[in-house]
Amino acid sequence: MNLSEVTERISRKLEANGAQPDRQKIESRLRRLVEEFGVNAAEAERTVTADLAREHHLTGVGMGGNSATELRQIRDVAPNDWVTIEGKVVALTKPVSPSMAQTGIIADSSGAIRFVAWARGNPPAMEYGQWYRVESAVVDEYRGTPNLSIHSGTTISPVEKDIPLLPSITPIAELKPGVGSVRAKVIQDWEVTHDRMLQTGLLGDESGTIKFVIWKEEGKDKLELDAVYNIFYATVDEYNGRLSLALNTAMYITDEGDIEVGRQETEIQGALVHIAPGSGLIKRCPVEGCNRTLSRQNYCPVHEIQPEFRYDLRLKAVLDDGVHAKNVLMQREMVEKLAGITLDEAVQIAETNPLGMDEIFYRIRNAVLGRYYTCSGNEFGGRLLVNSCSPITFEPAELAALLNRAGGEPA
Amino acid sequence: MKPQSAFEREPARRVFASELRETRYQFKDGEDEKSPTYVILPTGIRSNRIFIVGTLTEKQRQGDQNIFYRGRVVDPTGTFFIMAGSYQPEAMQQLARIEPPAFVAVVGKPNLYTTPDGTCLVSVRVESISVVDRETRDLWVLDTARETLDRLDAFGTTEDSKKAQEEYGTRPELYRKIVYDALTQVQL
Repeated sequence: MNLSEVTERISRKLEANGAQPDRQKIESRLRRLVEEFGVNAAEAERTVTADLAREHHLTGVGMGGNSATELRQIRDVAPNDWVTIEGKVVALTKPVSPSMAQTGIIADSSGAIRFVAWARGNPPAMEYGQWYRVESAVVDEYRGTPNLSIHSGTTISPVEKDIPLLPSITPIAELKPGVGSVRAKVIQDWEVTHDRMLQTGLLGDESGTIKFVIWKEEGKDKLELDAVYNIFYATVDEYNGRLSLALNTAMYITDEGDIEVGRQETEIQGALVHIAPGSGLIKRCPVEGCNRTLSRQNYCPVHEIQPEFRYDLRLKAVLDDGVHAKNVLMQREMVEKLAGITLDEAVQIAETNPLGMDEIFYRIRNAVLGRYYTCSGNEFGGRLLVNSCSPITFEPAELAALLNRAGGEPA
Repeated sequence: MKPQSAFEREPARRVFASELRETRYQFKDGEDEKSPTYVILPTGIRSNRIFIVGTLTEKQRQGDQNIFYRGRVVDPTGTFFIMAGSYQPEAMQQLARIEPPAFVAVVGKPNLYTTPDGTCLVSVRVESISVVDRETRDLWVLDTARETLDRLDAFGTTEDSKKAQEEYGTRPELYRKIVYDALTQVQL
Protein backbone atom coordinates (compact mmCIF):
# COMPACT_ATOMS: atom_id res chain seq x y z
CA MET A 1 0.00 0.00 0.00
CA ASN A 2 1.18 3.46 -0.84
CA LEU A 3 1.79 5.32 2.39
CA SER A 4 1.17 8.75 0.98
CA GLU A 5 -2.32 7.62 0.03
CA VAL A 6 -2.88 6.49 3.59
CA THR A 7 -1.46 9.76 4.87
CA GLU A 8 -3.87 11.63 2.68
CA ARG A 9 -6.79 9.60 3.95
CA ILE A 10 -5.87 10.11 7.59
CA SER A 11 -5.33 13.82 7.27
CA ARG A 12 -8.61 14.26 5.43
CA LYS A 13 -10.40 12.38 8.11
CA LEU A 14 -8.87 14.57 10.79
CA GLU A 15 -9.53 17.72 8.84
CA ALA A 16 -13.13 16.71 8.47
CA ASN A 17 -13.21 16.80 12.24
CA GLY A 18 -11.72 20.23 12.40
CA ALA A 19 -8.06 19.47 13.12
CA GLN A 20 -4.98 20.61 11.21
CA PRO A 21 -2.66 17.67 11.18
CA ASP A 22 0.88 17.77 9.95
CA ARG A 23 1.11 15.48 6.92
CA GLN A 24 4.78 14.85 7.30
CA LYS A 25 4.32 13.77 10.85
CA ILE A 26 1.59 11.36 9.80
CA GLU A 27 3.72 9.87 7.10
CA SER A 28 6.76 9.49 9.29
CA ARG A 29 4.75 7.80 11.97
CA LEU A 30 3.24 5.43 9.44
CA ARG A 31 6.63 4.69 7.94
CA ARG A 32 8.06 3.99 11.33
CA LEU A 33 5.31 1.51 12.15
CA VAL A 34 5.34 -0.18 8.79
CA GLU A 35 9.03 -0.22 7.99
CA GLU A 36 10.66 -0.44 11.37
CA PHE A 37 8.10 -2.46 13.24
CA GLY A 38 6.62 -4.53 10.45
CA VAL A 39 3.07 -3.51 11.25
CA ASN A 40 0.68 -4.04 8.37
CA ALA A 41 -0.62 -0.92 6.69
CA ALA A 42 -4.21 -1.23 7.80
CA GLU A 43 -3.24 -1.60 11.45
CA ALA A 44 -0.74 1.27 11.12
CA GLU A 45 -3.47 3.46 9.67
CA ARG A 46 -5.76 2.63 12.55
CA THR A 47 -3.07 3.29 15.15
CA VAL A 48 -1.93 6.57 13.69
CA THR A 49 -5.49 7.79 13.22
CA ALA A 50 -6.34 6.94 16.79
CA ASP A 51 -3.13 8.53 18.15
CA LEU A 52 -3.59 11.76 16.27
CA ALA A 53 -7.27 11.92 17.08
CA ARG A 54 -6.33 11.69 20.72
CA GLU A 55 -3.63 14.36 20.35
CA HIS A 56 -6.10 16.68 18.72
CA HIS A 57 -8.76 15.82 21.27
CA LEU A 58 -11.08 14.56 18.64
CA THR A 59 -13.81 12.03 19.12
CA GLY A 60 -15.65 10.01 16.58
CA VAL A 61 -12.67 9.61 14.28
CA GLY A 62 -12.06 6.03 13.40
CA MET A 63 -11.82 3.33 10.88
CA GLY A 64 -15.43 2.75 10.03
CA GLY A 65 -17.86 1.64 12.69
CA ASN A 66 -15.75 -0.61 14.84
CA SER A 67 -13.24 1.66 16.44
CA ALA A 68 -13.20 1.81 20.17
CA THR A 69 -12.85 5.55 20.15
CA GLU A 70 -15.85 6.36 18.02
CA LEU A 71 -18.81 7.54 20.02
CA ARG A 72 -21.61 5.04 19.69
CA GLN A 73 -25.28 5.05 20.44
CA ILE A 74 -26.12 2.65 23.22
CA ARG A 75 -28.92 1.15 21.17
CA ASP A 76 -26.45 0.06 18.50
CA VAL A 77 -23.81 -1.69 20.58
CA ALA A 78 -23.54 -5.44 20.33
CA PRO A 79 -21.67 -8.09 22.31
CA ASN A 80 -17.90 -8.23 21.58
CA ASP A 81 -17.78 -4.57 20.52
CA TRP A 82 -15.20 -2.24 21.99
CA VAL A 83 -17.11 0.95 22.40
CA THR A 84 -17.09 4.51 23.59
CA ILE A 85 -20.37 5.88 24.78
CA GLU A 86 -21.72 8.89 26.54
CA GLY A 87 -24.54 8.31 28.90
CA LYS A 88 -26.22 9.09 32.13
CA VAL A 89 -26.09 6.75 35.08
CA VAL A 90 -29.78 6.04 35.59
CA ALA A 91 -29.42 3.30 38.15
CA LEU A 92 -26.83 1.98 40.54
CA THR A 93 -27.26 -1.49 41.94
CA LYS A 94 -25.52 -3.33 44.69
CA PRO A 95 -22.67 -5.32 43.15
CA VAL A 96 -23.22 -9.04 43.60
CA SER A 97 -19.53 -9.78 43.98
CA PRO A 98 -16.61 -8.01 45.66
CA SER A 99 -14.73 -8.12 42.36
CA MET A 100 -17.22 -5.61 41.01
CA ALA A 101 -16.72 -2.00 42.04
CA GLN A 102 -20.00 -0.74 40.69
CA THR A 103 -22.96 -2.05 38.76
CA GLY A 104 -25.91 -0.25 37.29
CA ILE A 105 -27.48 1.06 34.16
CA ILE A 106 -26.19 3.77 31.86
CA ALA A 107 -28.46 5.36 29.29
CA ASP A 108 -28.37 7.79 26.41
CA SER A 109 -31.22 9.01 24.27
CA SER A 110 -31.08 5.88 22.11
CA GLY A 111 -31.28 3.27 24.82
CA ALA A 112 -29.78 1.87 27.97
CA ILE A 113 -27.39 -0.88 28.94
CA ARG A 114 -26.32 -2.55 32.16
CA PHE A 115 -22.73 -1.95 33.18
CA VAL A 116 -20.22 -3.58 35.47
CA ALA A 117 -17.12 -1.68 36.62
CA TRP A 118 -14.57 -4.25 37.70
CA ALA A 119 -12.73 -3.50 40.95
CA ARG A 120 -9.38 -4.60 39.49
CA GLY A 121 -9.34 -1.64 37.13
CA ASN A 122 -9.78 0.86 39.99
CA PRO A 123 -12.42 2.79 38.13
CA PRO A 124 -13.54 6.16 39.50
CA ALA A 125 -16.90 5.89 41.22
CA MET A 126 -19.73 7.15 39.07
CA GLU A 127 -22.59 9.08 40.58
CA TYR A 128 -26.23 8.48 40.05
CA GLY A 129 -27.79 11.00 37.68
CA GLN A 130 -24.46 12.21 36.28
CA TRP A 131 -23.35 12.00 32.63
CA TYR A 132 -20.12 10.22 31.78
CA ARG A 133 -18.04 9.48 28.79
CA VAL A 134 -16.94 5.87 28.89
CA GLU A 135 -14.11 5.16 26.49
CA SER A 136 -12.96 1.73 25.35
CA ALA A 137 -15.31 -0.40 27.32
CA VAL A 138 -16.20 -3.87 26.12
CA VAL A 139 -19.69 -5.14 25.54
CA ASP A 140 -20.03 -8.69 26.71
CA GLU A 141 -22.96 -10.92 27.25
CA TYR A 142 -24.09 -12.33 30.56
CA ARG A 143 -27.02 -14.75 30.59
CA GLY A 144 -28.15 -13.53 27.21
CA THR A 145 -28.03 -9.90 28.27
CA PRO A 146 -25.67 -7.33 26.78
CA ASN A 147 -23.51 -5.79 29.44
CA LEU A 148 -20.98 -2.95 29.30
CA SER A 149 -17.84 -4.10 30.98
CA ILE A 150 -15.63 -1.32 32.39
CA HIS A 151 -12.10 -2.65 32.79
CA SER A 152 -8.63 -1.30 33.46
CA GLY A 153 -8.30 -0.02 29.89
CA THR A 154 -11.47 2.02 30.09
CA THR A 155 -11.38 5.76 30.62
CA ILE A 156 -14.25 7.38 32.44
CA SER A 157 -14.64 11.12 32.44
CA PRO A 158 -17.55 13.19 33.71
CA VAL A 159 -19.39 15.19 31.07
CA GLU A 160 -21.07 18.46 31.83
CA LYS A 161 -24.40 17.88 30.30
CA ASP A 162 -27.85 18.28 31.63
CA ILE A 163 -30.14 17.43 28.83
CA PRO A 164 -33.35 15.76 29.86
CA LEU A 165 -33.26 12.11 28.99
CA LEU A 166 -36.49 10.63 27.77
CA PRO A 167 -36.32 6.86 27.64
CA SER A 168 -38.08 5.28 24.72
CA ILE A 169 -40.97 3.09 25.77
CA THR A 170 -40.92 -0.48 24.45
CA PRO A 171 -44.07 -2.56 23.97
CA ILE A 172 -43.93 -5.51 26.35
CA ALA A 173 -44.05 -8.03 23.53
CA GLU A 174 -40.85 -6.53 22.08
CA LEU A 175 -38.75 -6.45 25.26
CA LYS A 176 -35.38 -8.16 25.07
CA PRO A 177 -33.07 -9.20 27.89
CA GLY A 178 -31.19 -6.15 29.14
CA VAL A 179 -32.84 -2.93 30.08
CA GLY A 180 -36.30 -1.81 29.12
CA SER A 181 -38.79 0.96 29.75
CA VAL A 182 -42.49 0.27 29.57
CA ARG A 183 -45.84 1.93 30.10
CA ALA A 184 -47.95 -0.75 31.67
CA LYS A 185 -50.81 -1.58 33.95
CA VAL A 186 -50.54 -3.77 37.04
CA ILE A 187 -53.01 -6.52 36.26
CA GLN A 188 -52.14 -9.10 38.89
CA ASP A 189 -50.61 -8.87 42.33
CA TRP A 190 -49.27 -12.28 43.35
CA GLU A 191 -48.30 -13.65 46.71
CA VAL A 192 -44.59 -13.15 47.25
CA THR A 193 -42.62 -16.37 47.19
CA HIS A 194 -39.52 -15.16 48.96
CA ASP A 195 -38.62 -13.21 52.12
CA ARG A 196 -36.58 -10.73 50.17
CA MET A 197 -39.35 -10.01 47.71
CA LEU A 198 -41.43 -6.89 48.18
CA GLN A 199 -43.91 -7.51 45.41
CA THR A 200 -44.46 -9.68 42.38
CA GLY A 201 -47.21 -9.85 39.81
CA LEU A 202 -48.11 -9.28 36.23
CA LEU A 203 -47.82 -6.13 34.15
CA GLY A 204 -49.61 -5.71 30.87
CA ASP A 205 -49.83 -3.33 27.96
CA GLU A 206 -51.59 -3.54 24.59
CA SER A 207 -48.97 -5.94 23.26
CA GLY A 208 -48.84 -8.48 26.05
CA THR A 209 -47.99 -9.27 29.63
CA ILE A 210 -44.84 -9.82 31.66
CA LYS A 211 -44.06 -10.90 35.20
CA PHE A 212 -42.47 -8.27 37.41
CA VAL A 213 -40.55 -8.41 40.68
CA ILE A 214 -39.55 -5.74 43.16
CA TRP A 215 -36.95 -6.87 45.68
CA LYS A 216 -36.97 -5.38 49.16
CA GLU A 217 -34.76 -2.35 49.27
CA GLU A 218 -34.91 1.00 50.96
CA GLY A 219 -37.01 3.55 49.20
CA LYS A 220 -38.80 1.05 47.00
CA ASP A 221 -42.58 1.24 46.97
CA LYS A 222 -45.13 -1.29 45.86
CA LEU A 223 -47.14 -0.83 42.71
CA GLU A 224 -50.87 -0.48 43.03
CA LEU A 225 -53.11 -3.03 41.41
CA ASP A 226 -54.92 -1.77 38.29
CA ALA A 227 -52.86 1.41 38.14
CA VAL A 228 -50.91 2.45 35.05
CA TYR A 229 -47.21 3.23 35.44
CA ASN A 230 -44.38 4.60 33.40
CA ILE A 231 -41.47 2.37 34.29
CA PHE A 232 -38.08 3.60 33.19
CA TYR A 233 -34.99 1.42 33.02
CA ALA A 234 -36.22 -1.80 34.51
CA THR A 235 -34.00 -4.82 34.17
CA VAL A 236 -35.26 -7.46 31.76
CA ASP A 237 -34.13 -10.94 32.73
CA GLU A 238 -34.60 -14.20 30.98
CA TYR A 239 -35.09 -17.49 32.73
CA ASN A 240 -36.06 -20.70 30.97
CA GLY A 241 -37.03 -18.74 27.91
CA ARG A 242 -39.39 -16.47 29.85
CA LEU A 243 -38.78 -12.79 30.39
CA SER A 244 -39.40 -10.97 33.61
CA LEU A 245 -38.96 -7.40 34.72
CA ALA A 246 -37.06 -6.44 37.88
CA LEU A 247 -38.02 -2.93 38.96
CA ASN A 248 -35.23 -2.30 41.43
CA THR A 249 -33.18 -0.42 38.88
CA ALA A 250 -36.23 1.39 37.61
CA MET A 251 -37.93 4.65 38.27
CA TYR A 252 -41.66 4.27 38.22
CA ILE A 253 -44.35 6.88 38.34
CA THR A 254 -48.06 6.54 37.94
CA ASP A 255 -49.53 7.68 34.69
CA GLU A 256 -53.01 8.74 33.78
CA GLY A 257 -55.30 6.80 31.56
CA ASP A 258 -56.05 3.15 31.21
CA ILE A 259 -54.62 0.37 29.11
CA GLU A 260 -56.57 -2.31 27.33
CA VAL A 261 -54.27 -5.19 28.12
CA GLY A 262 -53.68 -7.49 25.21
CA ARG A 263 -53.74 -11.10 26.25
CA GLN A 264 -51.59 -13.35 24.17
CA GLU A 265 -53.88 -16.28 24.65
CA THR A 266 -53.16 -19.37 22.70
CA GLU A 267 -56.07 -21.53 21.67
CA ILE A 268 -55.61 -25.12 20.70
CA GLN A 269 -58.02 -27.87 19.80
CA GLY A 270 -57.30 -31.52 19.98
CA ALA A 271 -57.68 -34.77 21.83
CA LEU A 272 -56.28 -35.42 25.28
CA VAL A 273 -53.94 -38.28 24.46
CA HIS A 274 -52.05 -38.57 27.72
CA ILE A 275 -52.76 -37.89 31.37
CA ALA A 276 -49.49 -37.41 33.20
CA PRO A 277 -48.64 -38.65 36.68
CA GLY A 278 -49.21 -35.92 39.23
CA SER A 279 -52.72 -35.33 37.92
CA GLY A 280 -55.84 -35.72 40.00
CA LEU A 281 -56.00 -35.12 43.71
CA ILE A 282 -52.77 -33.67 45.07
CA LYS A 283 -51.56 -32.26 48.38
CA ARG A 284 -49.99 -28.85 48.58
CA CYS A 285 -47.57 -27.38 51.10
CA PRO A 286 -49.46 -25.07 53.48
CA VAL A 287 -46.49 -22.78 54.17
CA GLU A 288 -47.39 -19.28 53.08
CA GLY A 289 -46.16 -18.60 49.58
CA CYS A 290 -44.91 -22.16 49.02
CA ASN A 291 -47.78 -24.10 47.51
CA ARG A 292 -45.48 -26.86 46.28
CA THR A 293 -46.87 -30.32 45.66
CA LEU A 294 -46.17 -32.71 48.48
CA SER A 295 -45.14 -36.31 47.97
CA ARG A 296 -47.39 -39.13 49.15
CA GLN A 297 -45.52 -38.97 52.45
CA ASN A 298 -46.46 -35.28 52.77
CA TYR A 299 -42.87 -34.22 52.13
CA CYS A 300 -42.29 -30.75 50.72
CA PRO A 301 -38.90 -30.36 49.00
CA VAL A 302 -38.34 -27.17 51.01
CA HIS A 303 -40.42 -27.36 54.17
CA GLU A 304 -40.10 -31.09 54.86
CA ILE A 305 -43.01 -33.01 56.37
CA GLN A 306 -46.24 -31.04 56.35
CA PRO A 307 -49.12 -33.01 57.88
CA GLU A 308 -51.44 -29.99 57.67
CA PHE A 309 -51.46 -30.01 53.87
CA ARG A 310 -54.14 -28.61 51.62
CA TYR A 311 -55.85 -30.73 48.94
CA ASP A 312 -56.10 -29.54 45.36
CA LEU A 313 -57.13 -30.92 41.99
CA ARG A 314 -55.16 -30.49 38.83
CA LEU A 315 -54.62 -32.07 35.46
CA LYS A 316 -51.32 -32.38 33.65
CA ALA A 317 -51.99 -33.75 30.22
CA VAL A 318 -51.10 -33.67 26.53
CA LEU A 319 -53.51 -32.12 24.06
CA ASP A 320 -52.73 -33.33 20.57
CA ASP A 321 -54.16 -32.00 17.31
CA GLY A 322 -52.50 -34.64 15.15
CA VAL A 323 -49.68 -32.31 14.13
CA HIS A 324 -48.42 -30.99 17.46
CA ALA A 325 -48.61 -32.39 20.94
CA LYS A 326 -48.87 -29.73 23.62
CA ASN A 327 -48.48 -30.05 27.36
CA VAL A 328 -51.40 -28.50 29.18
CA LEU A 329 -51.95 -27.78 32.85
CA MET A 330 -55.41 -27.26 34.30
CA GLN A 331 -56.35 -25.91 37.69
CA ARG A 332 -59.04 -27.07 40.07
CA GLU A 333 -62.11 -25.31 38.62
CA MET A 334 -61.45 -26.67 35.17
CA VAL A 335 -60.82 -30.20 36.39
CA GLU A 336 -64.01 -30.10 38.46
CA LYS A 337 -65.98 -29.08 35.39
CA LEU A 338 -64.43 -31.56 32.95
CA ALA A 339 -64.41 -34.54 35.27
CA GLY A 340 -67.74 -33.77 36.93
CA ILE A 341 -66.33 -34.10 40.41
CA THR A 342 -65.76 -31.41 43.04
CA LEU A 343 -62.70 -31.15 45.22
CA ASP A 344 -64.77 -32.00 48.31
CA GLU A 345 -66.20 -35.10 46.68
CA ALA A 346 -62.74 -36.09 45.50
CA VAL A 347 -61.32 -35.74 49.02
CA GLN A 348 -64.16 -37.78 50.46
CA ILE A 349 -63.72 -40.54 47.89
CA ALA A 350 -59.97 -40.58 48.39
CA GLU A 351 -60.31 -40.88 52.15
CA THR A 352 -62.78 -43.76 52.02
CA ASN A 353 -61.71 -45.67 48.91
CA PRO A 354 -59.00 -48.33 49.28
CA LEU A 355 -57.19 -46.93 46.24
CA GLY A 356 -57.13 -43.49 47.85
CA MET A 357 -55.85 -40.73 45.65
CA ASP A 358 -55.23 -43.16 42.77
CA GLU A 359 -58.96 -43.64 42.52
CA ILE A 360 -59.38 -39.96 41.71
CA PHE A 361 -56.61 -40.14 39.10
CA TYR A 362 -58.39 -43.04 37.41
CA ARG A 363 -61.79 -41.35 37.54
CA ILE A 364 -60.49 -38.16 36.03
CA ARG A 365 -58.49 -40.05 33.45
CA ASN A 366 -61.48 -42.11 32.41
CA ALA A 367 -63.58 -38.98 32.11
CA VAL A 368 -61.23 -37.02 29.87
CA LEU A 369 -58.74 -39.31 28.13
CA GLY A 370 -59.27 -39.62 24.39
CA ARG A 371 -61.83 -36.82 24.24
CA TYR A 372 -61.75 -33.66 22.19
CA TYR A 373 -61.36 -30.24 23.81
CA THR A 374 -60.70 -26.62 22.95
CA CYS A 375 -58.25 -25.10 25.45
CA SER A 376 -57.06 -21.55 25.66
CA GLY A 377 -54.57 -20.02 28.01
CA ASN A 378 -51.08 -18.66 28.38
CA GLU A 379 -47.98 -20.50 27.42
CA PHE A 380 -45.40 -20.80 30.11
CA GLY A 381 -42.22 -22.79 29.70
CA GLY A 382 -43.53 -24.95 26.88
CA ARG A 383 -46.76 -25.68 28.71
CA LEU A 384 -50.19 -24.20 28.22
CA LEU A 385 -51.69 -22.90 31.46
CA VAL A 386 -55.32 -23.36 30.63
CA ASN A 387 -57.70 -20.51 31.45
CA SER A 388 -60.69 -22.01 29.76
CA CYS A 389 -61.48 -25.37 28.32
CA SER A 390 -64.59 -26.80 26.74
CA PRO A 391 -65.47 -30.09 25.08
CA ILE A 392 -65.76 -29.92 21.31
CA THR A 393 -69.23 -30.80 20.08
CA PHE A 394 -70.23 -32.37 16.83
CA GLU A 395 -71.11 -29.85 14.11
CA PRO A 396 -73.13 -31.20 11.17
CA ALA A 397 -71.87 -28.26 9.08
CA GLU A 398 -68.32 -29.51 9.59
CA LEU A 399 -69.33 -32.90 8.27
CA ALA A 400 -70.94 -31.33 5.19
CA ALA A 401 -67.86 -29.23 4.53
CA LEU A 402 -65.57 -32.24 4.77
CA LEU A 403 -67.81 -34.30 2.50
CA ASN A 404 -67.55 -31.54 -0.09
CA ARG A 405 -63.81 -31.38 0.36
CA ALA A 406 -63.46 -35.12 -0.08
CA GLY A 407 -64.92 -34.58 -3.51
CA GLY A 408 -68.39 -36.01 -3.45
CA GLU A 409 -71.89 -34.69 -3.22
CA PRO A 410 -73.15 -34.27 0.33
CA ALA A 411 -75.03 -37.40 1.25
CA MET B 1 -29.04 -20.42 30.09
CA LYS B 2 -30.79 -22.35 27.38
CA PRO B 3 -34.52 -22.90 27.57
CA GLN B 4 -35.36 -26.42 28.59
CA SER B 5 -34.57 -29.03 26.00
CA ALA B 6 -36.38 -28.64 22.73
CA PHE B 7 -37.85 -32.11 23.05
CA GLU B 8 -41.22 -32.26 21.48
CA ARG B 9 -43.52 -35.18 22.00
CA GLU B 10 -44.42 -37.04 18.81
CA PRO B 11 -47.94 -36.10 17.80
CA ALA B 12 -50.49 -38.86 17.49
CA ARG B 13 -51.42 -39.01 13.80
CA ARG B 14 -55.02 -39.59 12.81
CA VAL B 15 -55.36 -42.44 10.40
CA PHE B 16 -58.21 -44.63 9.18
CA ALA B 17 -57.92 -48.40 9.51
CA SER B 18 -57.86 -48.99 5.77
CA GLU B 19 -54.85 -46.72 5.40
CA LEU B 20 -52.96 -48.18 8.34
CA ARG B 21 -53.59 -51.68 6.98
CA GLU B 22 -51.65 -50.78 3.82
CA THR B 23 -48.64 -49.53 5.77
CA ARG B 24 -45.51 -51.56 4.99
CA TYR B 25 -42.54 -49.26 5.27
CA GLN B 26 -40.77 -48.74 8.56
CA PHE B 27 -37.51 -46.95 9.34
CA LYS B 28 -35.43 -45.79 12.24
CA ASP B 29 -34.62 -42.11 12.47
CA GLY B 30 -30.98 -42.20 13.57
CA GLU B 31 -28.45 -44.86 14.48
CA ASP B 32 -28.95 -44.85 18.20
CA GLU B 33 -30.57 -47.79 19.95
CA LYS B 34 -33.12 -45.37 21.40
CA SER B 35 -33.86 -43.64 18.08
CA PRO B 36 -37.55 -43.59 17.32
CA THR B 37 -38.97 -45.99 14.76
CA TYR B 38 -41.43 -44.53 12.30
CA VAL B 39 -43.75 -45.95 9.72
CA ILE B 40 -44.55 -44.00 6.58
CA LEU B 41 -48.29 -43.85 6.09
CA PRO B 42 -49.46 -44.25 2.48
CA THR B 43 -50.87 -40.70 2.43
CA GLY B 44 -47.35 -39.48 3.08
CA ILE B 45 -46.38 -38.78 6.65
CA ARG B 46 -44.11 -40.45 9.13
CA SER B 47 -45.71 -41.58 12.33
CA ASN B 48 -44.61 -43.29 15.48
CA ARG B 49 -47.83 -42.69 17.36
CA ILE B 50 -51.45 -42.75 16.30
CA PHE B 51 -54.78 -41.84 17.85
CA ILE B 52 -57.80 -43.89 16.91
CA VAL B 53 -61.38 -44.00 18.10
CA GLY B 54 -63.67 -46.85 17.19
CA THR B 55 -65.65 -49.75 18.52
CA LEU B 56 -63.84 -52.40 20.48
CA THR B 57 -65.57 -55.50 19.16
CA GLU B 58 -63.45 -58.23 20.59
CA LYS B 59 -60.72 -58.73 23.11
CA GLN B 60 -58.69 -61.79 24.07
CA ARG B 61 -56.22 -62.60 26.73
CA GLN B 62 -53.25 -64.54 25.41
CA GLY B 63 -50.05 -66.15 26.57
CA ASP B 64 -49.49 -67.71 29.95
CA GLN B 65 -46.13 -66.43 31.12
CA ASN B 66 -46.14 -63.25 29.12
CA ILE B 67 -49.72 -62.29 29.30
CA PHE B 68 -51.00 -59.89 26.72
CA TYR B 69 -54.30 -58.75 25.37
CA ARG B 70 -55.34 -58.45 21.76
CA GLY B 71 -58.33 -56.57 20.55
CA ARG B 72 -60.10 -55.42 17.44
CA VAL B 73 -61.18 -51.81 17.05
CA VAL B 74 -63.46 -51.06 14.15
CA ASP B 75 -63.77 -47.72 12.37
CA PRO B 76 -65.92 -46.90 9.29
CA THR B 77 -63.17 -48.14 6.96
CA GLY B 78 -61.96 -51.34 8.57
CA THR B 79 -60.33 -52.88 11.59
CA PHE B 80 -57.35 -51.97 13.74
CA PHE B 81 -55.57 -54.76 15.59
CA ILE B 82 -54.48 -53.57 18.97
CA MET B 83 -52.38 -55.26 21.61
CA ALA B 84 -51.19 -54.47 25.09
CA GLY B 85 -48.66 -56.60 26.91
CA SER B 86 -46.98 -56.66 30.25
CA TYR B 87 -44.53 -54.00 29.08
CA GLN B 88 -47.48 -51.60 29.16
CA PRO B 89 -49.12 -52.72 32.41
CA GLU B 90 -51.33 -49.63 32.73
CA ALA B 91 -52.62 -49.98 29.19
CA MET B 92 -53.07 -53.70 29.60
CA GLN B 93 -55.12 -53.27 32.76
CA GLN B 94 -57.20 -50.55 31.17
CA LEU B 95 -57.95 -52.86 28.26
CA ALA B 96 -58.67 -55.74 30.63
CA ARG B 97 -61.43 -53.72 32.29
CA ILE B 98 -63.25 -52.80 29.10
CA GLU B 99 -66.04 -55.15 27.98
CA PRO B 100 -66.77 -55.12 24.25
CA PRO B 101 -68.63 -53.77 22.49
CA ALA B 102 -67.65 -50.26 23.53
CA PHE B 103 -66.50 -47.05 21.90
CA VAL B 104 -62.83 -46.66 22.77
CA ALA B 105 -60.13 -44.06 22.20
CA VAL B 106 -56.69 -45.58 21.75
CA VAL B 107 -53.29 -43.93 21.69
CA GLY B 108 -50.58 -46.27 20.55
CA LYS B 109 -47.57 -47.06 18.43
CA PRO B 110 -47.97 -48.68 15.04
CA ASN B 111 -46.00 -51.91 14.71
CA LEU B 112 -45.19 -53.88 11.61
CA TYR B 113 -44.89 -57.63 11.80
CA THR B 114 -44.06 -60.04 9.03
CA THR B 115 -45.37 -63.58 9.37
CA PRO B 116 -43.19 -66.54 8.36
CA ASP B 117 -45.16 -66.85 5.12
CA GLY B 118 -44.39 -63.25 4.21
CA THR B 119 -47.60 -61.41 4.95
CA CYS B 120 -47.18 -58.10 6.67
CA LEU B 121 -49.41 -57.28 9.59
CA VAL B 122 -49.89 -53.93 11.24
CA SER B 123 -50.84 -53.78 14.87
CA VAL B 124 -51.11 -50.98 17.37
CA ARG B 125 -49.27 -51.28 20.67
CA VAL B 126 -51.52 -49.53 23.13
CA GLU B 127 -50.17 -46.72 25.29
CA SER B 128 -53.56 -45.86 26.68
CA ILE B 129 -57.13 -46.80 26.05
CA SER B 130 -60.34 -45.41 27.48
CA VAL B 131 -64.06 -45.74 26.95
CA VAL B 132 -65.62 -42.80 25.14
CA ASP B 133 -69.01 -42.00 23.65
CA ARG B 134 -70.46 -41.96 20.18
CA GLU B 135 -69.95 -38.21 19.81
CA THR B 136 -66.21 -38.60 20.36
CA ARG B 137 -66.20 -41.32 17.69
CA ASP B 138 -67.94 -39.00 15.26
CA LEU B 139 -65.56 -36.16 16.09
CA TRP B 140 -62.67 -38.50 15.43
CA VAL B 141 -64.02 -39.46 12.01
CA LEU B 142 -64.25 -35.76 11.11
CA ASP B 143 -60.80 -35.09 12.56
CA THR B 144 -59.23 -38.03 10.75
CA ALA B 145 -60.97 -37.09 7.51
CA ARG B 146 -59.60 -33.55 7.80
CA GLU B 147 -56.05 -34.68 8.60
CA THR B 148 -56.09 -37.25 5.81
CA LEU B 149 -57.32 -34.64 3.30
CA ASP B 150 -54.62 -32.24 4.53
CA ARG B 151 -52.00 -34.91 3.86
CA LEU B 152 -53.45 -35.62 0.43
CA ASP B 153 -53.42 -31.90 -0.41
CA ALA B 154 -49.72 -31.76 0.43
CA PHE B 155 -49.00 -35.06 -1.33
CA GLY B 156 -45.94 -34.89 -3.56
CA THR B 157 -44.60 -31.74 -1.92
CA THR B 158 -43.05 -33.24 1.21
CA GLU B 159 -40.15 -35.64 1.66
CA ASP B 160 -42.33 -38.14 3.45
CA SER B 161 -44.98 -38.12 0.76
CA LYS B 162 -42.35 -38.64 -1.95
CA LYS B 163 -41.15 -41.63 0.02
CA ALA B 164 -44.74 -42.84 0.30
CA GLN B 165 -45.19 -42.49 -3.45
CA GLU B 166 -42.06 -44.54 -4.00
CA GLU B 167 -42.99 -47.25 -1.50
CA TYR B 168 -46.71 -47.56 -2.11
CA GLY B 169 -47.49 -45.84 -5.41
CA THR B 170 -50.28 -44.10 -3.52
CA ARG B 171 -53.26 -43.03 -5.58
CA PRO B 172 -54.63 -39.97 -3.78
CA GLU B 173 -58.08 -40.26 -5.36
CA LEU B 174 -58.44 -43.68 -3.77
CA TYR B 175 -57.88 -42.20 -0.34
CA ARG B 176 -60.28 -39.34 -1.04
CA LYS B 177 -62.86 -41.99 -1.76
CA ILE B 178 -62.06 -43.76 1.50
CA VAL B 179 -62.44 -40.46 3.39
CA TYR B 180 -65.71 -39.75 1.63
CA ASP B 181 -67.10 -43.19 2.42
CA ALA B 182 -66.05 -42.88 6.04
CA LEU B 183 -67.81 -39.52 6.37
CA THR B 184 -71.03 -40.85 4.88
CA GLN B 185 -71.22 -43.33 7.73
CA VAL B 186 -71.42 -40.60 10.31
CA GLN B 187 -75.07 -40.12 11.17
CA LEU B 188 -76.44 -36.66 11.44
